[in-house]
Amino acid sequence: MFLEIFRFELRQQLRAPLFWIAVALFGSVAFSLSSTDAVIAGGASGNVLRNAPMVIARMLTIFGFAGIILLPVFICGAALRDFEQRTAELYFTTPVTRGAYLGGRFAAGYLVVVLIALAWALGIALGGSMPWIDPARIGPSGTQGYLWGLAVIVLPDMLILSALLFLLATVTRSLLAAYIGVIVFVVLALVSRSLISDVNHLTIAAILDPFGTRTVSVTVRYWAADQLNHQLPAVTGLLLFNRLLWGSIALVLLGAAFALFRVNREGLQLPQRKSRRADPPQLRPVADTASALPKAELSDSLAAHLAQLRALIVFDTNAVLRGVPFLIMLGLALVNLLTVLSLSGQIYGTAVYPVSHWTLEAVRGGFQWVLFIVIAFYAGELVWRDRSVGSAAVSDAFPVPDWVPLIAKLCSLVAVIVVFLLVGAAVGIGWQLAHGYTHIEPGLYAASLAIDVVPFVLLAIMALFLQVLSNNKFLGYLLTIVWLVVSLIAFGLLHWENNLYNYGSAPNAPYSDMAGFAHFLKATLWFDFYWACAAAALLVVASLFWVRGTGGSWRERLREARARLRVPAQIALTVSLLAFVASGAWIYYNTSVLNTYRSSEQQKQDSAEYEKRYAKYKDLPQPRITAVKADVDIYPYGERKLDMRVHYTLVNKHAEPISELHVNFAEGFTVKSLDFAPHDTVSEDKQLGYTIYKLKTPLAPGASMNFDFALEYAPKGFRNEAGGDTFLVDNGTFFNSGVLPHFGYQSGEQITDRNDRRKYGLSAEVPRMPKLGDEKARANTYISNDADWISFDTTVSTVDDQIAMAPGYLQKAWTANGRHYFHYTMDQPMLNFFSYLSARYVVRHATGPNGVAIEVYYNPAHAWNVDRMIQSAQDSLAYYDAHYTPYQFRQLRILEFPDYASFAQAFANTIPFSESIGFIADLRDKSKIDYVYYVTAHETAHQWWAHRVIGANMQGSTMLSESLAQYSALMVMKQKYGAEQMRKFLKYELDNYLNGRATEDVQEEPLAKVENQQYIHYRKGSVVFYALQDYIGENLFDSILKQFLLDKGFQQPPYTTSQEFMDYLVKGTDPKWKGLLDDLFWKITLFDNRVVDASAKKLADGKYEVTMKVHTGKVWVDGTGKETEANTDIPLDIGVFTASPGAGLDGKPLYLEKRVLPKGDSTITVTVDGKPAEAGIDPYNKLIDRVSSDNRHAVTLQ
Amino acid sequence: MLAIRDLSKTYANGVKALRGVSLDIPNGMFGLLGPNGAGKSSLMRTIATLQDPDQGSIKLDTMDLLADKRATRRLLGYLPQEFGVYPKVSAEAMLDHFAVLKGVTAKKERRELVAALLRQVNLWDARKRKLGTYSGGMRQRFGIAQALIGDPRLVIVDEPTAGLDPEERNRFLNLLAEIGERVVVILSTHIVEDVTDLCQRMAIIGQGEVLLSGEPLEAIRSLDGRVWRRTIDKHELDGYRARMTILSTRLMAGRTQIHVLADSLPEPGFEAVAPDLEDVYFGRLRAQATAKAA
Repeated sequence: MFLEIFRFELRQQLRAPLFWIAVALFGSVAFSLSSTDAVIAGGASGNVLRNAPMVIARMLTIFGFAGIILLPVFICGAALRDFEQRTAELYFTTPVTRGAYLGGRFAAGYLVVVLIALAWALGIALGGSMPWIDPARIGPSGTQGYLWGLAVIVLPDMLILSALLFLLATVTRSLLAAYIGVIVFVVLALVSRSLISDVNHLTIAAILDPFGTRTVSVTVRYWAADQLNHQLPAVTGLLLFNRLLWGSIALVLLGAAFALFRVNREGLQLPQRKSRRADPPQLRPVADTASALPKAELSDSLAAHLAQLRALIVFDTNAVLRGVPFLIMLGLALVNLLTVLSLSGQIYGTAVYPVSHWTLEAVRGGFQWVLFIVIAFYAGELVWRDRSVGSAAVSDAFPVPDWVPLIAKLCSLVAVIVVFLLVGAAVGIGWQLAHGYTHIEPGLYAASLAIDVVPFVLLAIMALFLQVLSNNKFLGYLLTIVWLVVSLIAFGLLHWENNLYNYGSAPNAPYSDMAGFAHFLKATLWFDFYWACAAAALLVVASLFWVRGTGGSWRERLREARARLRVPAQIALTVSLLAFVASGAWIYYNTSVLNTYRSSEQQKQDSAEYEKRYAKYKDLPQPRITAVKADVDIYPYGERKLDMRVHYTLVNKHAEPISELHVNFAEGFTVKSLDFAPHDTVSEDKQLGYTIYKLKTPLAPGASMNFDFALEYAPKGFRNEAGGDTFLVDNGTFFNSGVLPHFGYQSGEQITDRNDRRKYGLSAEVPRMPKLGDEKARANTYISNDADWISFDTTVSTVDDQIAMAPGYLQKAWTANGRHYFHYTMDQPMLNFFSYLSARYVVRHATGPNGVAIEVYYNPAHAWNVDRMIQSAQDSLAYYDAHYTPYQFRQLRILEFPDYASFAQAFANTIPFSESIGFIADLRDKSKIDYVYYVTAHETAHQWWAHRVIGANMQGSTMLSESLAQYSALMVMKQKYGAEQMRKFLKYELDNYLNGRATEDVQEEPLAKVENQQYIHYRKGSVVFYALQDYIGENLFDSILKQFLLDKGFQQPPYTTSQEFMDYLVKGTDPKWKGLLDDLFWKITLFDNRVVDASAKKLADGKYEVTMKVHTGKVWVDGTGKETEANTDIPLDIGVFTASPGAGLDGKPLYLEKRVLPKGDSTITVTVDGKPAEAGIDPYNKLIDRVSSDNRHAVTLQ
Repeated sequence: MLAIRDLSKTYANGVKALRGVSLDIPNGMFGLLGPNGAGKSSLMRTIATLQDPDQGSIKLDTMDLLADKRATRRLLGYLPQEFGVYPKVSAEAMLDHFAVLKGVTAKKERRELVAALLRQVNLWDARKRKLGTYSGGMRQRFGIAQALIGDPRLVIVDEPTAGLDPEERNRFLNLLAEIGERVVVILSTHIVEDVTDLCQRMAIIGQGEVLLSGEPLEAIRSLDGRVWRRTIDKHELDGYRARMTILSTRLMAGRTQIHVLADSLPEPGFEAVAPDLEDVYFGRLRAQATAKAA
């Protein structure tokens, strides 16, 4: 009986065209994902092979998400078949058992889904074996990844979802309820995804994830490329628990479906209110009916149509907004929104003030995906509403014009979107108020929501169009989902970024509290208009194909559409198409003629071309810039413009004469004039900005020459994306010396990713940075290759209500011709790396040690943390003055700039700080890390590490600037918070280093050879140096640093290197630390220290004896991730602590001593005076450990 | 003999569909007559094990039908009032599928049975066509074919002729008449002719109660000599209604014709007519309505 039902149901499913469409669709999407080099799905980047088992497994799990949409069609189709076809009673009067019936239907539905999953897997396998794939990215093939991915993730996931859908469908007998089940799961997955970004909630996120993908991510989060290429996570621990948990839940759901299934007509019923009429109506004798009906007039005018439209809108919108599914979807979106609000914007685990634009972004982000699904779903529901209930047979025969119901349903969809966004905004405002933030900016809310609504409305129109054309609800859903996937995901993966051919897309208009929308809205609005015209055309076509009655074949529908194409439709269609083409042309003119549009693909090609043509000039001697004198005029709004008249003094510092000048000009800047010694132009490459001049008289060694030029940046029209044009805005102009001409081949633009290099025909050798020991490379710093130290003088003008800033001491400020002028001069040489800023600033002054003038220039609305920055500057300057060398300048200025970029940067005595990285940090919770203080200390430290001592252009040099700056900041934190509270900072840096390892593009390097890799020089560097001072002693380390600063500060080439620094370290420390220095600086060392168990018993004399079972280990890792075991010969901290006195604080150490522990497992016993709460080895995470959270363990008292 | 005792059912929304229905139904054709909403379908579904009554019992000879539903379904054939079909499946394949589900698992036997059934209901020529292409009459015939699988002892047919044209109806009733004598066949309908034409025994149901039970001929005979007919104008109707017991009104070539119940000639202008089942039917219903109103 079970077999018969199973067989029959399977035949029904396999016969349905939808099944074969799904197989074809998913198979081809999988094939294309795995067969193009353009796509890096599954994490196959850098050293990770395209067919690594982990990558295959991940690509299989992508199906899990796409399959969510698929499942209701097949599973609910199986469950509801007999109720929809009304064959239920025929079945239920046969002696078939409940188990056989439900089991047969479910098994067949599930099998069908499995078949589609197999089609997906097959697509991936086929795609991966295509001959055009780069063979270097393919490893040995095998079925491991497929089997594992299917057995561990995909099939169980599908089982869980199917069980839930089956239960909902059989109990509620409603497809609607089942779709809601899908939404629930989507939101659960999204919430789980948000939870994972906070390091402390990983375990919960891993357990809660019904798909198991987060669990896998957590399990492999510290795996390097080598492991990913050869291993798969063992199904143990967290992963096993997750699978068993959700597998059991699936079985429970199926059991519930079985138990709650009802054979009778009403299904499972909740007790309802008794209807007022309990008895059937009385028979009334026949001729009692009234004879005449009142007369009513029918009108067919436009006004009538509009009235009908309004009535239909009210009718449909009411039904949607009052429906339970709508409320549930709204509720789920709100849950997602609240999660986003509470977790996003965090830096170092600390949140920001909920400023309005950030809140609005959270609303958009939190609602986006749910709203897409809601629109897709309701488009189908609305179009099919009448036909589903059967009233279409009646209403289709009414004299309502075809466009009326179509527009009515569109308006209902728009109403849904608007309600969603308004509720989201309300919650956002509530959130702001709940956090004590009252500057609500309702104008911004209104404008932002109005802009956000547009892409959703465009999608709604597309969804309606697809539903009408396909004339099949499920096909319509499928097409809509395909459309969403293609336009949102596929286009991005393929780097098709031109908004002109992606329906509904428009450039993002970035908003900054300082500059508002600036000039970016124009582009967005034009693209919105362009696509709105296309959407209008789609609507007209949809109304031509709107189905009245039975629809019929395509030929019939085409005939009907042609018949409906009368004058009004013709006009509408023509007008919208004309407007579409005209606005498209205007946009093209703006984005590709007035400006240049280059996709990221083309940009990479440009980089490759640049290297191919000019890398041969790498070692060509070029003059050095020794002085810069600039006149800069900033016009931030109205006719936006930058005018610069600059004088360079160039000196030939080489031993031979220089006959050629190779000049790089920045894109977008026109050279108005160029004046230097007599010369000929050898080649002028306008596209790549590289020009070669031949001097009539070569520049002799030691001689100098003038190089004067005038540049103009005058952007016209608008661009395809906002990026690249954010430096000149209404309020918050910020650009640096990168826009000025530079000499010689600039290797900073080279492509470093090995696979990309191969793709563009460059040599596979990745010259990320010259090797340590390359003496030639010591001729330059890593900051610039055409200057050492320069003298700097500048006069900058801006509009009269803004302040313009540049490095240097303000000599004079005046107003002329309605503009504000400032003259700055540096009284000592500085690096050729400087910036200009202009904004309506408010200034706060303070004094630092030795009378240093500390100033913060900020946006008046962002005043919360200014005092904190000043405090940090004062504390840092005091610390660095005392421990290193005296601060070389008389001023330190911090400047706010708009949050188009999110960094802080140190120029000579000038520190620009992004809005979003410090000014809006919410530091009211004392238990969180005060990263404003931290980052200010770091940037201040750069005045020593970079602006005093700067390393050569080779490996390891960024250790000298970034790592030492980060270390210095850590020491300032240690001074402020105490050594006992340092774990919080060290653990954060350590975890980020470990995460960063897995994103390595090329090869990881030990710290002393770091090649500008951020996760190493910031994160690992700070921990390493902190550990070093802990072992050798802070005073000793300080003296080494001080000597290094004195010897190497302001040096001329050859510049210092990390090797020289290490020599200082070796010379200054006891030889017993040689092994430690090796481990920390010359190798990639991972410790594996953990406390397995800790217990304590109270002794007779009131002290406690603490026993710890510990495990130690150490491995050295090579660049590709392969590990070698090593001996644990470095002494480790052993610590026992009291209980934590409050949130975010560590307990006091009752015991803290260093000891060498044997490799592997061992037991330690220690006696302490107070009551112990925690014990640990390396409890402050001073050493790079594979897992940071297992160094401490709670102590159980016996 | 199907013995129904004291069956009652009240739905969750308060509607009292069955109120203490008791019936004795022997083998052969039994007609269940009643207007829409009378409770016929509720009764049919209850006997067909699709619905549980609030109280009461149903026994087929000694077997308690409500106790073991699966056993009941093995000897049941049910043709529901509204049913759908899988449009893309052929009649033969569908019938074969149902045969397996009913328990005819031996393949050869099943093939023969299906062929025989299709011939019996005259769908043999259309057996390979998809059910979605069948007309209403063909669907009903398919329905009765599936109900007859496996020699059922109890056949329940719920409003089978509603919506069929006269020829289809005829054909269908002939089919039903062929069903054997060892079988209880309950035909529920609101079309009085169906019962007159086919059934030896009947019951009239109204508002969940049994109004009459017995042989149609006897019921008709009880009205012998008491039914009178007259053709009148529409506006006179109210006047007559006030004066005498009107059994039924119908239109005849555009004019109103009334049947009246009276022991003797009520008025000049009336003529005596032989009573038919419709008179019995309408009479009972009106009596119930009057009793309720009082």
